[in-house]
Amino acid sequence: MTQEQQLKLQAFLDGELAESEARETLAWTQRDGAAAALLSELKNTRQAMVQAEPHLCVPETREFFWSKIEREIRRQEPAAAAAPGVSRLATLRDWLLPAVAAGALLLVAAGLLAHFNVPKPAPETAADADTPTVETTLANSDATTYRDASEGTTLVLFSYATDDNPVKKPTAIN
Amino acid sequence: MSGQNYSTTDDEMLVQAARRGELAAFEELVFRHRDPIYARAFSMTRNEQDAVDLSQEAWVKGWQRLEQFQGDASFTTWMTRIVINLCLDHLRKQKRQRADSIEAMDEESGGVERQMPVVTVNPTAGLERAELRVKIDEALGRLSAEHRTVLVLHEFEEMDYKAIAKTVGCSIGTVMSRLFYARRKMAALLADMRKIT
Repeated sequence: MTQEQQLKLQAFLDGELAESEARETLAWTQRDGAAAALLSELKNTRQAMVQAEPHLCVPETREFFWSKIEREIRRQEPAAAAAPGVSRLATLRDWLLPAVAAGALLLVAAGLLAHFNVPKPAPETAADADTPTVETTLANSDATTYRDASEGTTLVLFSYATDDNPVKKPTAIN
Repeated sequence: MSGQNYSTTDDEMLVQAARRGELAAFEELVFRHRDPIYARAFSMTRNEQDAVDLSQEAWVKGWQRLEQFQGDASFTTWMTRIVINLCLDHLRKQKRQRADSIEAMDEESGGVERQMPVVTVNPTAGLERAELRVKIDEALGRLSAEHRTVLVLHEFEEMDYKAIAKTVGCSIGTVMSRLFYARRKMAALLADMRKIT
């Protein structure tokens, strides 16, 4: 018997053959003793296996077996499993609500600041090109910039106090 | 639902609660189905500690993939597929770490199963089911991982050739030859055990 024939016999047993092939194989087993004997052996083994799948139990207690699973779940999903029985939605809600409230407060504060302290932009149009601009620096700073676009001049005035004269003297550089 | 007693809740409701993050519901699912999942891992690996570790890993993966459970098959069937895939990965790693078994070499070179005499008398006839289980278990332990896997998937999981080929990652022809060898070897082992007893 060839290997192909043996495997066909097995496929017949397992119901893997098309109907016409199955009929041919059945006829073959009825006239060939060796084929019939092999088919019988395969069938007995299959039946024994199906009937007697070993029944096994986890060789650990429920608590011990679960503890490792739980630990691994918590390790991989610390936020989701932060507390037993707390849903992800509840966890999300706990974080989301304060975050939304804080965001809303910030928006209100920004709106109030914008309302009471609207900055006035410096004129940059062509009509203002002849008008010199003075950029005063912050109160505690010692430098003032004087820019005249028509002359193409920029003056930076540095002020400093001397020992005998606390009044700041401007110094000009081009 | 936290702290709830889930012992009387059905699987479907437990899955829904677990999807919402209820670990207690998932623990109940583990408690109910841990034995068949462990048994499948053991039937494939034949190592108690590996089977415990792999079944626990399967439960962790089950928790992470709960959203993918559609309910087409039973929860146990779905979990069994997960543990089978983990066992196959485990066996592949093991195989890479050692030389191929003699059985696998035989399979490649034409197979000793073709020379085995046919077992004409049913070696399991008249055995009590408990006794038969012990013998089947012992015989399974003497097969190579490749042959045992195909046999387990076909006889216990009732997969057809195509599904086994897809799961294991080999051709249908390989599935057929491995299954044939595994059955013939099992018949010979069971006959030998019968003679000894």
